[in-house]
Amino acid sequence: MNTPAPPSPPSPPKVAAAGAVDATKIYGVGDAQVRALDGVTVAFEQGKFTAIMGPSGSGKSTLLHALAGLDTLTSGDTYIGETYLSTLDDKQLTELRRTKVGFIFQAFNLIPTLTAEENIRLPMMLGGESGDAEWIDTVVTTVGLRERLSHRPSELSGGQQQRVAVARALASQPQIIFADEPTGNLDSTTGAEILDFMRRAVREYGQTIVMVTHDPGAASYSDRVVFVGDGKITGDMDEPTADGVLDHLKQHGV
Amino acid sequence: MSTSSTALLARRSIRARLGRTIAIAVAITAGVSFVVGSFVLADSLRDVFTDLFDELSEDVDLQVRSVQEFDTNDAREPIEVTLVDEVRAIDGVEVAEPTLTRYAQLINDEGEAVSPAGGPTLGVSWEGDAGIQGVTIREGVPPEGPDEVAIDKATADRERISIGDEVTYLTDTGQHTGTVTATIGLGDTDSFGGAALVALDLDTALDKFGADGKVDTIDIKVADGADVAAVEAELESVLTNTVEVITGEQVAEESAEGVNEFVDLFGNGLLIFAFITTFVSGFIINNVFQITIGQRLRELALMRAVGASGRQVRRMIVGEALILGIVATILGVFGGLAVARLLITAFNAAGAGFPSSATVIQPRTVIIAFLVGVGITMLSVLVPSRRAARIPPVAAMRPELGFGALGRRRLIGGVVVTIVGLVMFLVGMFAQPGGTQGLIFFAGGGGLLLFVGVASVSSTIARPVTRAIGWPIDKLFKVPGALARENVARAPRRTSSSAAALMIGVSLVSAAAVFASSLRTTFVDTLENAITADYIVTDDSFQGLSPVVAETLAEVPELSAVTPVRGISGQVEGDTKSFGAVDAIAFEELVDPDLQEGTIGGLSENGVLVHTDPAGDLDLEIGSEVEVLYQNGETSTLTVEGIYGDATFGNWLISLDTLEAVSDAPARDFFIIGKLADEVDAETGDAAVAAAIEEFPQANLQTNAEFRESQEAQINQLLVIISLLLAFAIVIAVLGISITLALGVFERTREIGLLRAVGMNRRQTRRSIRWEAVIVSTFGAIIGIVLGTFLGVVLSLAVPDDIISKLAFNPTITVIILIGGVVAGLLAALYPSFKASNMDVLDAIATE
Repeated sequence: MNTPAPPSPPSPPKVAAAGAVDATKIYGVGDAQVRALDGVTVAFEQGKFTAIMGPSGSGKSTLLHALAGLDTLTSGDTYIGETYLSTLDDKQLTELRRTKVGFIFQAFNLIPTLTAEENIRLPMMLGGESGDAEWIDTVVTTVGLRERLSHRPSELSGGQQQRVAVARALASQPQIIFADEPTGNLDSTTGAEILDFMRRAVREYGQTIVMVTHDPGAASYSDRVVFVGDGKITGDMDEPTADGVLDHLKQHGV
Repeated sequence: MSTSSTALLARRSIRARLGRTIAIAVAITAGVSFVVGSFVLADSLRDVFTDLFDELSEDVDLQVRSVQEFDTNDAREPIEVTLVDEVRAIDGVEVAEPTLTRYAQLINDEGEAVSPAGGPTLGVSWEGDAGIQGVTIREGVPPEGPDEVAIDKATADRERISIGDEVTYLTDTGQHTGTVTATIGLGDTDSFGGAALVALDLDTALDKFGADGKVDTIDIKVADGADVAAVEAELESVLTNTVEVITGEQVAEESAEGVNEFVDLFGNGLLIFAFITTFVSGFIINNVFQITIGQRLRELALMRAVGASGRQVRRMIVGEALILGIVATILGVFGGLAVARLLITAFNAAGAGFPSSATVIQPRTVIIAFLVGVGITMLSVLVPSRRAARIPPVAAMRPELGFGALGRRRLIGGVVVTIVGLVMFLVGMFAQPGGTQGLIFFAGGGGLLLFVGVASVSSTIARPVTRAIGWPIDKLFKVPGALARENVARAPRRTSSSAAALMIGVSLVSAAAVFASSLRTTFVDTLENAITADYIVTDDSFQGLSPVVAETLAEVPELSAVTPVRGISGQVEGDTKSFGAVDAIAFEELVDPDLQEGTIGGLSENGVLVHTDPAGDLDLEIGSEVEVLYQNGETSTLTVEGIYGDATFGNWLISLDTLEAVSDAPARDFFIIGKLADEVDAETGDAAVAAAIEEFPQANLQTNAEFRESQEAQINQLLVIISLLLAFAIVIAVLGISITLALGVFERTREIGLLRAVGMNRRQTRRSIRWEAVIVSTFGAIIGIVLGTFLGVVLSLAVPDDIISKLAFNPTITVIILIGGVVAGLLAALYPSFKASNMDVLDAIATE
């Protein structure tokens, strides 16, 4: 490791649901070295819908993976709630992902052998819990899946599959949901529907969501946009609009 | 695309998928190794024995012996010792050495019988010189006259007997004493192939052995410069027509033939298991090819899209298989040498005493290895390569277009193959057309088709059955259990093909188990109902017991009835039959042979008892006369005096007197049965019989119950040996499940990554894969048990009633097999579950 580990950081601020402190991720050695993350410090507030934007290779996905405990850093740290992830072993990380984190991926979000309902309950079932029945019911109603609960993923449309994924992320009432290009594989109407669900989850139920996207339209659903370029934070915008985001991107020559 | 580019692609593909390639190669190599090992072992044994007999008869140019009228294992009739002088008188005969080998047992100072571990104890005549049999003096001078003996040096050393010591020995005529004048050996060795030897001069031997002026053979060495053929012709003109002369080469050949018959039987038995193993390997290779071609769908479709023809795609797949098959076969040939060595070690550990060199690889072995190794690979890739050739180019862009469903055609094909296999098997077992070859073709071929058919049809029941097997696992292990259950059920075809290999192994074990249980039950039943004898004395030396043993037992006052059971071959209407010879009066008290007509006890000389089967075949009734020709040319006319229904003691029974009247060959008893007198209690009786039998170490005394137990133990042992030989196939089957599962894990990388991302821990991941394997293996085990039980029942019904007349099942073994199936699954899951749980979550999710 080239960079010495930072001194044990103070307790994360209460308002942040998750964040990174001087997060650095280096791939390769010598001349072939790539700094995917170069000392990123950022915090994501509770109850907000934050979008991370940036071009391909900017490090936005690496940041999301590090925040979610799927990837490790070369130096620096990420935290969820009051827990620094570098202090956890694989077992504890798995436990954290199961109980504190929700995931929505771009594609292949569901286990093909399980029904929609089983997919929604999966994280809780893995922990041997049944979850909050009333809340799950609310989630199912909200995403409009009641009729489809007993269907397998192969019997659902792409949009319906993503709705199940959103429902699964919400069902366990995690501290934070990470979404990686959740609408990337959908047409714009269906994508808008999914983004709307996500925004409602934040507005109505106080959920925290961090979403990686490269689509300014998708980013406009969020409360705040964090711009990433070359492994660094290059900008921050509250209450974004599609045009505002586009302008920012143009200004920064992307 | 030229042929060379197809070859290039095939080579590259093998290299790119190394793990899978190794797995297929292991399956082929294992099968080929077993086949090669079986041949190498049998060829090596044949070689060793042929050399041994060549060496033994090296100095024998000609041999004079009595004629056998037909081929039989009965000992040849001895010849008059007076012939020796006639032979010696012939021009060109340098040495004419009479040979005489009989039973002789040394007794030590404490009155105990001296016995080499398991080896025979023999008495021989020896004229004192090295002779042509290669006897060498280690120390002392040759024995002369009735009071002198020579013994082998190994026994002398072990028993600390020195020259000048007085020894006691037992022969067919009773106990004798003699002074040791020499220790002897065979060539450079101190012993005679593990036998303990007492050597006497010819006249003494003739007398003490009760040989009645007759010897076994006369071995002849022709003088230097004399023409062997001329001497042979001269001898033939002198000898009567009951005596013949043969060359030394023939002697060696015949001796080797006897052993080789056993070697052939042994080698062919091993080969059967070797081919079963190869057959199982074929299933696995086929399954792996099927799966990997499915996984390479996009690549293959892309090749089609850029201009490869369907034929070229097929050629590429076949090319890959060909390279693999050749390489794996070469490895298998070398592996075969190791297997042969391993088998020798294993059999020697069980007391077989094989020579330890096994290096004979005949060209035939290598050719068969390639036919088997490359052949099975090519057959396995036949269907997958055809499917690959049919992939439409557009599948490169739309993978869901991949393979058309073959469900219905496969099912119909499977049912047809199953029915054809079943019919062939039943015809082979019951109608038995065409002898041994017919049996191999119909029963063997039918069995193979039956396995292929059932494996194919079983995919249609795979879903419901595995769901049922998985139910308790689902309930017990929650999410990992449910996932395991679903994953098994989602690809019923793959499940059934990977379970098929285990199914074959398990069904063969199950069939053997049913057969063994039925055999045991029939046997126990016979012992309980038909044999009322209290004691059974069997022979441990494979030479038969000297009549002295039975005579000694007959004099034990605690026993009320004793009879030896002896045998002789005789031809009835041109067919060779085995006749049992007994003391009929004692026999009636000891055995209940289910007499239908006539009497037993009154069996007179030239009377015969016949089992109902031959009686029916030959239209015999009480009073019918039967002409019998014996191997020595004697004949007798036997009168049927009784007809019986229990064939435990064979189909034909005569009295000892009848046998002795027609044969001068030394009498040897197979076993002896005896019964306590009414007033004697078991303890006193046991002690008395044990004391009487003590001086005969080859005689193995057992009570009725002990005998039953030892026979049951032998049947169990047989089952264990069969299971061990099938272990090869079962190990490969487990390997097959493991490969299939690993490929499945590879296919589901994204899915596993997702599960890990949303919170499944490593243990749950491992558990899920493990239970998946257990469900597959249990599925295979259950189908195998069902099919195997059926095969076992057919087999048991097909053998004659005197061997198996009652069907029996052994639930314990079935339970053991089921548990074994679960364990097989756990073993198969070791690698795939490790691989699944150690996946990098991020990489897994990012996988295309």
